[in-house]
Amino acid sequence: MTAVVQAEGLTKYYGRRRGLEDLTLDIQPGEIFGYLGPNGAGKTTTIRLLLDVIRPTRGRVQVLGGDPRDPAVRARIGYLPGELALEGHERARDYLRFLGRVRGGVPASRIEELAERFEADLSVQMGKLSKGNKQKVGLIQAFMHEPEFLILDEPTGGLDPLVQHEFLAMLREVRRSGRTVLMSSHVLAEVESVSDRVGIVRGGRLVAVENVAALREKAVRRMELHFDAPVPAADFEGLAGVRDVRVEGAGVRCTIDGRPDALIKAAARHTVVHMVSAEPDLEEIFLTYYSDEEQHSARQESA
Amino acid sequence: MLAKSLRDSRRTLVWWSIGLCAFMGLYLGVYNSVRESPEVYGPAALAKFPGALRDLMGLQDFLSGTGYLQSAVYQVFVPMLFVVCATTLANRAIAQPEESGTLELVLTLPVDRRRLVLQRWAALVVSLLVVAVVTLAVAWALSAALTMGVPFGRILAAHTGMFLLALLFGTVALALGAATGRRVVASAAVGVWLVAGYVVVTMGSGVDAVAWLKWFSPYHYYIDGRPLYEGLPVGDYLVLAGATVVFALTAALAFDRRDVGV
Repeated sequence: MTAVVQAEGLTKYYGRRRGLEDLTLDIQPGEIFGYLGPNGAGKTTTIRLLLDVIRPTRGRVQVLGGDPRDPAVRARIGYLPGELALEGHERARDYLRFLGRVRGGVPASRIEELAERFEADLSVQMGKLSKGNKQKVGLIQAFMHEPEFLILDEPTGGLDPLVQHEFLAMLREVRRSGRTVLMSSHVLAEVESVSDRVGIVRGGRLVAVENVAALREKAVRRMELHFDAPVPAADFEGLAGVRDVRVEGAGVRCTIDGRPDALIKAAARHTVVHMVSAEPDLEEIFLTYYSDEEQHSARQESA
Repeated sequence: MLAKSLRDSRRTLVWWSIGLCAFMGLYLGVYNSVRESPEVYGPAALAKFPGALRDLMGLQDFLSGTGYLQSAVYQVFVPMLFVVCATTLANRAIAQPEESGTLELVLTLPVDRRRLVLQRWAALVVSLLVVAVVTLAVAWALSAALTMGVPFGRILAAHTGMFLLALLFGTVALALGAATGRRVVASAAVGVWLVAGYVVVTMGSGVDAVAWLKWFSPYHYYIDGRPLYEGLPVGDYLVLAGATVVFALTAALAFDRRDVGV
């Protein structure tokens, strides 16, 4: 199967200002790709290049096996802009129907069904929509024609938690039906629960692409075990993947890299009364990536 | 797409039509009192104006129906307002939605960019045609009611010229908007070209140094054939229409190769 997105050396300069440099990335069918980076890093530039709103300075990009310039390719994409502008006296419902017609026909019932799921009021004039409602209209138009490829630029900004929950449920449905999603965010917590892979972009460059499951496995995790009687420190020393062990009477604190298997087996020899394991903080891991990258480039610059 | 553009601008169309008709009504409505006071508005009175001002305002003859209709409606203000209306409508095609950010989503729809521009240009043509037909009906009705004695064919000829003039400037605004994405650029260019072109044709006609510039003034092709007096100036109007088509195609090509919204 061909990749949904195939970018090779994709570069965009706005005059002399760098928007995106040398992006090489494949997004596979059926995956949810989280595109992460601080504001101004090049996320929206990438997305606009994928949709032919702007044209690359250098490099090549194919979407769904074709050129994004081809209207037929864009018909198979659903897009939520990062800064969605909706205005005018037109009612949201009429605008959605218009978009549906241009995209080759979306049944009115489908629009109503999505409006119900997001609890969006479509009888409001577009210029009078609240920020949250605007975002809902944006999500409805992105999902309504059941596109093969969804591009969502900062989709959860302005959504209340209930709607956000519904949105994540819809993303999972999309994945289950084998469709592909590219979703940008500047907060990892928003994308980590649904993404298969996460790419990090900084200063116009893609600095890392990681599998979320693998990352979680690699993640550093703090653990605390409590026993019914004091335990010998020796039992917990030299275990594979276990670091910073501190034994204090009946309590053991440590840090594990990756799998907790060795620690659990060692603890099983005693009577465990209580166990605390902090969820690995992926944010922290990414921050480590970021700072490594910065130190790396700082070293290069000083050299 | 076309229907949607028209629907979006229907309020603008209604208000412009009402405005232009009211303007014409005010000016034409006083024709009877003008006709009855030749000592105030007759040739002797007009002669008191400085020559340059007379040229600039196109003051020739207020007493005959044709002369008054030409001076009050077709000479300056109504064509100018018509051009402003066309520019406003043209800016709604590309520049305004680009500045407000609503164009981005539209561009990602499965519509070819060149087609999008041409469809929005077609909406401009239809919109202006609506305003032209409404104002034509009112102009004719008023002139008939006031027994100005101008045949409908002549009014139609003059009105057609006004429509073509407005459409040309509207298309220029659309082309500049499509090429730059900025309303200010489009409006300023139209304003400068319109006013400079008008001045060259009126005040400048006697000044050899600038008189030749009239060939670059759309207004020249509108006024030169004296349509209200002599009927449809086919050649002149074809120049206006031809230039319009060239600018429309330029708009489509310019927009097709541009980054939008950056």
